[in-house]
Amino acid sequence: MSQIELKNINKSFDGKTILNNISLKVEEGERISLLGPSGCGKTTTLKIIAGLLKNDKGQLLIGDKDVSKVPVEKRGAVIVFQDYLLFPHMTVAENIGFGLKMAKKNKNIIKEKVDELLKLVKLEGLGDRYPDELSGGQKQRVAIARALAVDPKVLLLDEPFSNLDTGLRDEMREFISNLQRKLNITTILVTHDKEEALMISDRIAVMLNGEIKQIDEPSEIYKHPKSIEVANFLGNRNYIKGNIKEGKFETEIGLFNIDNREQKEVIAMINPEDIYLDNSSNEGLEGTITEVRYAGDRIYYKIKIKNKQIRVISNSDKVYRLNEKIFIHMDFNNGVFF
Amino acid sequence: MNFKISKIILYLLLFFLLVPLFVLVIWSFSNSWPWPNMLPKDLGIRAYKHIFSFRTGTLGVLIYSIILSATVTLITIIISIPASKALGVYDFPLKKLFKILVLAPIIVPPVAVAMGIHVSFIKMGLANTFLGVVLVHLIPCIPYGVRIITSVFEGIGEKMEIQAKVLGASSLQTFFHITLPMITPGVISAASMVFIVSFSQYFLTFLIGGGKVKTLSLVMFPYIQSGDRMMASAYSIVFSLTTLMILLIMEKSIKKKYKRETDLFV
Amino acid sequence: MIKDKIKPYILLLPIMTIIFGIFASGLIMGFMQSLGRFEAIGMTEFTLRYYKEVLIDKGFLSSFGFSFYISIVSSVIAVVVGVILAYLLLINKHKKGIEEIIYRIPIIVPHTVASLLVFNILAQSGVLPRILNFLGIINEQSQFPALVFDKNGWGIIFSYIWKEIPFIAMVVYTVLKNINDKLRDVALNLGSDKKQVFFHILLPLMMPSIISSFIIVFAFSFGAFEAPYLLGPTSPKALPVKAFIEYNNPDLTNRPYAMVINMILTFFSVMFILIYYKVFNLINRYSR
Repeated sequence: MSQIELKNINKSFDGKTILNNISLKVEEGERISLLGPSGCGKTTTLKIIAGLLKNDKGQLLIGDKDVSKVPVEKRGAVIVFQDYLLFPHMTVAENIGFGLKMAKKNKNIIKEKVDELLKLVKLEGLGDRYPDELSGGQKQRVAIARALAVDPKVLLLDEPFSNLDTGLRDEMREFISNLQRKLNITTILVTHDKEEALMISDRIAVMLNGEIKQIDEPSEIYKHPKSIEVANFLGNRNYIKGNIKEGKFETEIGLFNIDNREQKEVIAMINPEDIYLDNSSNEGLEGTITEVRYAGDRIYYKIKIKNKQIRVISNSDKVYRLNEKIFIHMDFNNGVFF
Repeated sequence: MNFKISKIILYLLLFFLLVPLFVLVIWSFSNSWPWPNMLPKDLGIRAYKHIFSFRTGTLGVLIYSIILSATVTLITIIISIPASKALGVYDFPLKKLFKILVLAPIIVPPVAVAMGIHVSFIKMGLANTFLGVVLVHLIPCIPYGVRIITSVFEGIGEKMEIQAKVLGASSLQTFFHITLPMITPGVISAASMVFIVSFSQYFLTFLIGGGKVKTLSLVMFPYIQSGDRMMASAYSIVFSLTTLMILLIMEKSIKKKYKRETDLFV
Repeated sequence: MIKDKIKPYILLLPIMTIIFGIFASGLIMGFMQSLGRFEAIGMTEFTLRYYKEVLIDKGFLSSFGFSFYISIVSSVIAVVVGVILAYLLLINKHKKGIEEIIYRIPIIVPHTVASLLVFNILAQSGVLPRILNFLGIINEQSQFPALVFDKNGWGIIFSYIWKEIPFIAMVVYTVLKNINDKLRDVALNLGSDKKQVFFHILLPLMMPSIISSFIIVFAFSFGAFEAPYLLGPTSPKALPVKAFIEYNNPDLTNRPYAMVINMILTFFSVMFILIYYKVFNLINRYSR
């Protein structure tokens, strides 16, 4: 278990830049997510850390050691792949013990360790099964146990939950989170699912087009994205153009009071859940409801104000109807300006 | 370093596989090549001239052989498609036994089968006839046809056909519009393999055809046996090029339609 | 529904007509004749006499040994080299290589032509002795070892391995290509070196297809007529050649001897099929 640091990592294939100056430091025992859409380079980053790919430029430190030249089999950064990739011709126990066998460990030691891991991942008694006799969740637990067997310095999880059904996914997230805390193992998780990243990471690195755009704790990333790109990736927000002038924010949909005294042209971001709807009084901005989607614990609205569509998520019990006139309250002091 | 060695070994192996063919080509153009010369003394096309002269009638034999093997291929494919569907898609009692029976001729020596059936063929008037030879060729061809097409059916299953029927297609329409287009790439690989097996057949043709059914395999055999290198080599070249051409035609016909690579797989 | 139940059998009917009508009945009639029952020439009694005679005949035993030896040597060499070729093709695969096509050429060349190739190169007047002569290693044809028509069957073995290496390589390469590339990555990632990847991951996954293609190749060379007929020594003769010579004897009462040899060939082939099917179940288990 060690800290790991990427310094200015670059990678290109056939002249196309895949990774552009990736720098990232993960503390010992920390759980960090690489969040980004498919093709943003996150899996490439993972493979470079594991040593399955070579970086063109930059440094890669595990502990304090530069491991750029250490071959994959000696590096100690183990990936758990999205599709688990259990060896089909080996039993569960043989799969888990594979790394130890390759390291030519004593048979009794392997057996002991495998039993211990089977217990850890709650698969006692399934050691003699073959992978094709396991469910998705079980396969994943075998894959994790197989990775943990070699005592990796860093655990790399590549979209670990995307092949699981919703219910099972929550269960496995919890299971892996707890396991990681218990073992205090440095972990990098790659995902395209922002909710997943927000839920289970100590910190998130948002990756777009081969660059890390922002590294922060989940709430910071969500509440204070540093750019529109990052903001956009983390959710469907509202963006409103306007001018700040002497404590007023002048926009296409109306005039708002604001504490900010600077004078400049900005784009303000405001989250759909920070906008409140009301039809009890005539205060606020008037709009018309153009779309209603009921999702049980919350309701998604689209509302037309002048010529602008605004998204609103409401947690209240009251359901407004389509085409209903409505008054909107938004406070730009909670907004983010770009 | 390691990588380079592997490449060298690879090319050595390919060299081992190809050099004999290269030598074959040279020998077919050698009017005279006495020991211990490294190169032929007299290069020429005498062998080819002889093969394609009207007197030897090789061109006729060639066409006859192609027609014979094409007939074998067609029949093999026609009976293999339904059998492969049964073996690839359905589950039924004794399926394993049927599978073993169909694939058995790949293992059981054709020599034993041909000698055993010979007397009956004579009685039925099939010996020494085109039809008799076609029938006996089916035996070594069937396992290849069924193996390849069965694996195709195992891959596609019955879902698409059921979908077509749900949409109102009749059984016949389903076969021609859905099943056939889906299995065509596999059928072409099977047909290529079956054609090679039939076209290469010597012993079965010789025994059942009794020398009356003259295929190219049969005609070139005595030259090989007698060690007439020039003629034997030229015949071998004609033989191999014909096979290659027919395979290419088959592969082309499919690529046009499917833009997908067919593998000459077994 | 009854219709659904009999459907598979109806689909199998045409092919089974051929299999039973020619293949099975050919074997059965051969079997009858091997027991001495050959109605066409008025032999009607059943006897094991011919089996006894053949099985104690020294010529038969040496033929059996010769056939077995040729098949096992050529098949083992072909499998080992074929697997190596497949593996080399896999690891040297970059773009659409021409290598992938040319290695398969020998598959379309018939065994008769393969025999000619061997004769062209390895006979004492062939290309190899000429090269050795040119290099001054030998001075006369007779100094070159007789590799064709020889008692060690080298000519036959060479023609088989030339034909069979590509066949094995093709079967194995198809399997290798379909083994998920990432399984190799996983193994490397878990600390195995390249050698371990080959022996612990690739080889076990290839094993079923290696064994099944070995059996096909072995059974084929055990029962094939052409190569030993063209390249084999006068004695011992390979079993299929021996069977044909007995068969070709103008004295028809000699036929049962040919059939006994055929039945022994067939018996061993059936044993191979049994092994083959044991292996086939393994294939199904590994192919996900």
